[in-house]
Amino acid sequence: MRPWVAAILYAVLGAITFVVCFPLLWAISTSLKPKDEIFRWPPTLWPENITFESYHELLFGGSVASAPGAGVPPSAYFLTWFANSIIVSVGSTIISITVATLAAYSLTRFRFWGQRSVPYIAILGYMVPSVIFVFPMFLTMVSLELTDTLFSLILGYVCITLPFCLWLMWAFFRGVPIEIEEAALVDGASRLQVFRQIVLPVALPGIIAASIFSLIVSWNDYLFGRVFMNSMENLPLTVGVMHFFDGTHVDWGLMMASSVLMTLPMAILFGFMQRHLVAGFGAGAVKG
Amino acid sequence: MTDVVVQGLSKSFGSNNVLKALDLRVPSRQFVTLLGPSGCGKTTLLRLIAGLEKATAGEIRFGERRVDTLPPGERNIAMVFQSYALYPTMDVARNIGYGLEVRRTPKAERQAKIGAVAKVLEIAHLLLRKPKQLSGGQRQRVALGRAMARRPDIFLMDEPLSNLDAKLRAAMRGELRRFHLDLGTTTVYVTHDQLEAMTMSDLVVVMNEGVVQQIGTPEEVYGRPANLFVAGFIGTPPMNLIPAQVKDDVLTVAGTPLPVPLPPGAPSEVVLGVRPQDVSMAKPGDAGAIPGKVWMVELIGSERLIEVEIAPKIRVTAEVRASHRAAIDDVVAVRPDPGHVHLFDPSTGRALTA
Repeated sequence: MRPWVAAILYAVLGAITFVVCFPLLWAISTSLKPKDEIFRWPPTLWPENITFESYHELLFGGSVASAPGAGVPPSAYFLTWFANSIIVSVGSTIISITVATLAAYSLTRFRFWGQRSVPYIAILGYMVPSVIFVFPMFLTMVSLELTDTLFSLILGYVCITLPFCLWLMWAFFRGVPIEIEEAALVDGASRLQVFRQIVLPVALPGIIAASIFSLIVSWNDYLFGRVFMNSMENLPLTVGVMHFFDGTHVDWGLMMASSVLMTLPMAILFGFMQRHLVAGFGAGAVKG
Repeated sequence: MTDVVVQGLSKSFGSNNVLKALDLRVPSRQFVTLLGPSGCGKTTLLRLIAGLEKATAGEIRFGERRVDTLPPGERNIAMVFQSYALYPTMDVARNIGYGLEVRRTPKAERQAKIGAVAKVLEIAHLLLRKPKQLSGGQRQRVALGRAMARRPDIFLMDEPLSNLDAKLRAAMRGELRRFHLDLGTTTVYVTHDQLEAMTMSDLVVVMNEGVVQQIGTPEEVYGRPANLFVAGFIGTPPMNLIPAQVKDDVLTVAGTPLPVPLPPGAPSEVVLGVRPQDVSMAKPGDAGAIPGKVWMVELIGSERLIEVEIAPKIRVTAEVRASHRAAIDDVVAVRPDPGHVHLFDPSTGRALTA
């Protein structure tokens, strides 16, 4: 490549990277600024005086448990919301992945009526925007008396993540040769051993990919949390942090610190999972 | 010490009858090959013996033990798959030892067995690798090692050499035969390659359309084919199958009487089978030689195939020395060796024996 071509290429790529990363950088920067510096004009790109007061308020600003009732600042709920988000994302992911893995396995390994159409119908369901069925689902939750419970959110997230997880696992299992299972059966393994010791390890990259998808969808959801939940102590993070807008003013420091803390778990998760995701692919059991 | 007995075995997939009331006995310690064109049911038969398919009717016994109701893991068999089917997430050692592992063989004993097998197969240096880091031939050996480690009663092999290149395949043929002679384990081997069947087997089972056509030693199926299918399927180039007439105890092909001994009660129309190697070239008018015109000449190395049209659309191939020259449209004659001809009844396809 000619030097000037490379220079232009790098300049363009650098610009795109900056644009993509800027909101996150700005969030980090704002979260570390003292309150008076946040609104200063012209703005500072990087805080002159770094402070962790926003983080301190979120993480150690007292908890609802110690001082319940009215007049509690929204920031006191932060850890509760965080825990709620973790419970519903992890809970819905575990259900989605378990059901999707078992369903996809049976769809590729056993013969029954509708075997071919189920994955396609599922993916069709995933293509419908969730706004369309959030209200029917809310009404269902009302009749089940599940509104304002974390369980309703878990069910909601399973509904939107399961179809795609099923599709992903189905595509994955279709690529796993049945001979390796037959070989294990001949070797004397039970059906369960075959599934646990042969199939699951092979399917691990698919399971990780589907888990990441499901975690991200449920962690980032706003709609279901907004519609299903009322009480302050039951909100997921995404909905909860909106209480840092209180009509008259916005606490940008808290808002940005929350955003950074919200991003962290997913970023860490990605860092760990990525290696597994790549390492598992390209298994060459069969003629390669 | 296990023979395999198959009685009245049928298998249908929907309306497709793949095996039709099949009977077969594989004697203990023998290497038996199921040979046939694709779709003849040979792999289905193997999978039924393995327990990977359920029979529609009939029974399978290993010695005195009835096994067709047992799951594959309780039949004490080992199977080598065409695709090798190694466990992709396990290293070579665990692949070989997996059968022992699920049977809860103590670790020390397991490792000793893995080591012994790896030594025989010369894959001891590969034990820590994953299947994807192996070449085709190495994977083949691991698959074989996995089968050998458990000391099964019966080896089942489903075209295990078909994914190897020609040179490696030839080498592995010999090795497989050696292993069989050393271990003496009853082996059922599926192939569509007659060279593998002829070179490796004690017994060849020729199958077509779900029916056993002939069971015999390689010499028998080659030298005394039981019917037209076996006659046409075994041997390269394939046997000439020529329509012939019997009149007054004399066999006539395209108007030429041939000095072939006839079995008693031969029908008036028969099929004469003769291998190209047993056909020699002659001059028109020679006794016992059928006149015709050269239709095609092919050189196949040290031999030459001369195809002679003796009547419209009826051609006879002779395999002669490469030094024998012939040109297309030459007027020649072909003489079948009367001592090496086979006669078949065209209505039943069966061989007519004297």
